[in-house]
Amino acid sequence: MSQPLIGVDLVPLARVGELLDPDIGPVLRRFLSTEELAASRTPDGAPDRAGIAGRLAAKEAVFKLLGAVGRPVPWQGIEVLRGPGGRPGVRLSGTAAELAQHAGLGPIDVSISHDAGFAIAVAAATTSRPTHLAGSVTSKGMP
Amino acid sequence: MSSAGIDKVRDWILGRHPERTELAADVDLIESRLVDSLAFVELVYTIEDAAGVEIDFDAIDIEDFQTLATIEKAFFA
Repeated sequence: MSQPLIGVDLVPLARVGELLDPDIGPVLRRFLSTEELAASRTPDGAPDRAGIAGRLAAKEAVFKLLGAVGRPVPWQGIEVLRGPGGRPGVRLSGTAAELAQHAGLGPIDVSISHDAGFAIAVAAATTSRPTHLAGSVTSKGMP
Repeated sequence: MSSAGIDKVRDWILGRHPERTELAADVDLIESRLVDSLAFVELVYTIEDAAGVEIDFDAIDIEDFQTLATIEKAFFA
């Protein structure tokens, strides 16, 4: 029997501004893959802050489906790219893909919205192993 | 006596939280919400810069980043 799961996350656009600060180095490359970085620019080539914030929120929302307490977010392994019809699509790899398999997750869908200086994302999936995730929510939180 | 490296890490955390003037070595940075998931990546970057090492993000043991004391033991001892 499968059980639905949702994850949600909110990222202020101001945080993206901090990550783009050249004084702190190329930190954004730790969060976004090469393909995501290329897709995170406005038509005039400037960083798309709303798009980046939405992408980061979506990654964290997806991570919340994985039930992976005590681990850092595998940012590079959760790619959020433009899917068919312009909807965001999720591509998992490496540790993130292993965690999703371990959690018994089916296909993951995400929805992203931006307004008033914030980006919010919701991720949804079903799991075939609800007991696995139920046991993990009582464990210590993670960054 | 703390190393210059861990002082850089402490200063970076305090710089993000102007409401705080000090940070004890045993304060849990994650449970205290001083470092969230986005800031965690910046924390790793700050430690790399201060310690002159490269940290494999996929092999991170979260316990090493729990407090200033564990960070100092793992990266500046």
